[in-house]
Amino acid sequence: MRLEKCWFCSSTIYPGHGIQFVRNDAKIFRFCRSKCHKNFKMKRNPRKLKWTKAYRRLHGKDMTQDSTFELERKRNRPERYDRNVTESTLKAIKKIDKIRVAREARHHAMRMKGKKAIEQQAAAKELEQSIHLVKAPAALQEDPSLTLPKMKIKVSQSQTEDRMEE
Amino acid sequence: MSASFTSKWSIAGRSLLGSLSNNLLGAVKTTHEVIPRLHYNSIFSQQQRTFIQMRTNLKVVDNSGAKRVMCIQALKGRRGARLGDTIIASVKEAQPRGKVKKGEVVYGVVVRAAMQRGRCDGSEIKFDDNAVVIVNKQGEPIGTRVFGPVPHELRKKKHLKILTLAEHIA
Repeated sequence: MRLEKCWFCSSTIYPGHGIQFVRNDAKIFRFCRSKCHKNFKMKRNPRKLKWTKAYRRLHGKDMTQDSTFELERKRNRPERYDRNVTESTLKAIKKIDKIRVAREARHHAMRMKGKKAIEQQAAAKELEQSIHLVKAPAALQEDPSLTLPKMKIKVSQSQTEDRMEE
Repeated sequence: MSASFTSKWSIAGRSLLGSLSNNLLGAVKTTHEVIPRLHYNSIFSQQQRTFIQMRTNLKVVDNSGAKRVMCIQALKGRRGARLGDTIIASVKEAQPRGKVKKGEVVYGVVVRAAMQRGRCDGSEIKFDDNAVVIVNKQGEPIGTRVFGPVPHELRKKKHLKILTLAEHIA
């Protein structure tokens, strides 16, 4: 049993799933589900479709080179069964998975690093330029503070009439 | 009344679409706006592949001399032959100096089928075209070479000679 990768989206194909298409030049294309298969038949390029791993790797959204990928490389030589080797491989798979997830999270964090600062700057600029949408210019001139006033409103008949007059 | 008229149009359109090319698709589409666009797209891009039956043209992928054969009977299988099955075929096109001539009735083993065939592990396999290898009544290939990929299914059907001659086993 071998876990293959989908040619289109690069997800793993488990046994019992998917379709393999053999072209006349003997190149085999494996697809994990009909979505990938239909996109392939439409001759779409996976590098241009945002949800595929090919796109994400190409545009730097996911990490490309890492030593944790070495374990998953395809090996064509069959290994003789050795109980100890099997045991240590199973343990290694779990550990390497954990490391890989941690590294991917770090890559994502590095990618999103400057986001907060940019958002703060954009908010300050908007406050400066568009305050007239919230507070009338006349009011601004009498009170030059740019923050919005905090109003406590009691919900009762007379108070609601006052608010409507404002 | 208009509803029934448009439904009749849609049925005609669907049968046309099965065999027509891109240009006509555009022309047919513009004539009725009632049917949503997505419906036409799905019919166009999904060709329904079926069995190899009477009148099916197949490519011959060995050096027996024939180029194209037409299936006249699928042995085993009420609906038709699939990947790995044997058929009886009539040679429609042949090379001038070959072991089989045009008009001969021959047996053939289907080595590539566009219709997907399920494998015992649950996955499915399909090829790009329909291809056949000409065999004699005992199941031995007449030619000495086989071109292109062949599937594993031939092993179970005991066509081992074809497997040994093949250049790639899918």
